[in-house]
Amino acid sequence: MRRGRNDGTLPSAPAGASSINLCDVHLALGDDPPAPVLGGVDLLAPAGEVTAIVGPSGCGKSTLLDVIAGLREPDHGQVLVGGHHADRIGRVALMPQRDALMPWRTLLANVEAGARLAGDAPDVARARARVALQQAGLAGFEHHYPHALSGGMRQRGALARTLLSGRGTWLLDEPFGALDALTRSEMHGVLKETCARHRPTVLLVTHDIAEAVLLAETVLVAGPSPMRIVDVIDTHAEGDAGGRERALESLRAAGVAA
Amino acid sequence: MTTSQATRPDVVVARGSRARRGHLGVVLPTLVLPALVLVVWQLASWVFAPREWILPSPALIARTAWDDRARLWYHAEWTLLVTVLGLGLAIAVGCLLAFLIARSRLANLALYPWVVATQTIPLVALAPLFVLWMPAFAAMVSLAALISIFPVIVAGVDGLRAGDPDLVRAVRALGADPGWVWWHVRIPAALPRLFTGIRMAAVFAVTGAVVGELVASDRGLGALTRLSAGQFETAVTFAGVACLAIIGLTLFATVALAEHLALPYLRRPTRPSSARNS
Repeated sequence: MRRGRNDGTLPSAPAGASSINLCDVHLALGDDPPAPVLGGVDLLAPAGEVTAIVGPSGCGKSTLLDVIAGLREPDHGQVLVGGHHADRIGRVALMPQRDALMPWRTLLANVEAGARLAGDAPDVARARARVALQQAGLAGFEHHYPHALSGGMRQRGALARTLLSGRGTWLLDEPFGALDALTRSEMHGVLKETCARHRPTVLLVTHDIAEAVLLAETVLVAGPSPMRIVDVIDTHAEGDAGGRERALESLRAAGVAA
Repeated sequence: MTTSQATRPDVVVARGSRARRGHLGVVLPTLVLPALVLVVWQLASWVFAPREWILPSPALIARTAWDDRARLWYHAEWTLLVTVLGLGLAIAVGCLLAFLIARSRLANLALYPWVVATQTIPLVALAPLFVLWMPAFAAMVSLAALISIFPVIVAGVDGLRAGDPDLVRAVRALGADPGWVWWHVRIPAALPRLFTGIRMAAVFAVTGAVVGELVASDRGLGALTRLSAGQFETAVTFAGVACLAIIGLTLFATVALAEHLALPYLRRPTRPSSARNS
């Protein structure tokens, strides 16, 4: 079903699936007086694995992702993406809660933008975007605008764009929070399959414990603001039910009424 | 993928009924109100027979407009030109100012309060001064531009500030530089609001041109209504006002058409599954 000349235009394994390593990261936001948002975050997201962060709303998870993506610099502490502290912008792809597709661009043009920003020539970007949409099960919808698609289809488009950005390290900021339950579980399958095929490093932020345990090899439990990691759970060792139970207990111990 | 069909039955229904209604279904309801007014007006003119210079009948106005068409066109042409140039100037300068105000904190503090302050001055009062300072035509264009620039700036600033912060985060993390973010995210995101402002500006521009002509010009539909009313040519006055309404509506419709062409994604969605099924 894929045409021969397009073979090889889509990277089967993203180059540079980097580990993410944070050491004692502090950040305060606002002035007069600055409120601490990150209170000494230590975390490790191993290369090629899915790591989830669960924590209460407003605990600073989105700010943490901004810091890892290089959109903000920490006040103190070290952020390493694949061993680099500087130049994090352009090494990781960030996928926010709402799909963040540009509503004035067709699905194809949106996905193409990921490849264009990664430095592809226009015709190459277009060809790769077509292939990526086909693989995402969105063939035939290339010329639809995002508002004419369902929430799940938009998120699959956003995932295709993330894939085409050529980055092997993905930060997913509550990517399925705005979807209905059925579509969300469908998207869990899509993400698992995509990760199994491309082996990116994924750092997934969510407030849904079940989602974290289901998708991630490692679940990091974040305490309330200012954010710190209070527990690290190996979901293979604990099992699904055990992992959920332990995450709940850790959140309660951290003072979150879960 | 059948989810798209299942989740969007509303779209399919809407499209079918629209196709059945056709163009007549859109035009007819719009014309009911003016037709009713004209009929009542004409009947009242027959029944009460007011003096022609107080209230001419619609039939008399139409006849006068046709007989005096050269004179009407002489004035209408001028007003149309003033309005279009004034609106064009307002859009060009307004977009530039909106961009500066949205982009720079300094420009926001230094300019925005004064943009608002100019709107508290009755600009009509400035018309005689403008005529002193520059040729009549330039004075009228400036007035039209000054009155219509306000909605362009306000809508432009609001639109540029309304860019989705999540979208900006996502494209910046993908490596977009600030120029890319402005050109591909903030400006496209501002366009729907900007067009709303421009539609209002189109109507304001007509008002600005006419007010200028009423006060300080010998040519233009504003001047025509002033002069004809002074000479009790009331039917001509009404014909001039009708021309003004036509100019205003035409400009409004032109902007709406430009909006329709420039923002295809805001049109009614077509069936998302049609391409898949074929």
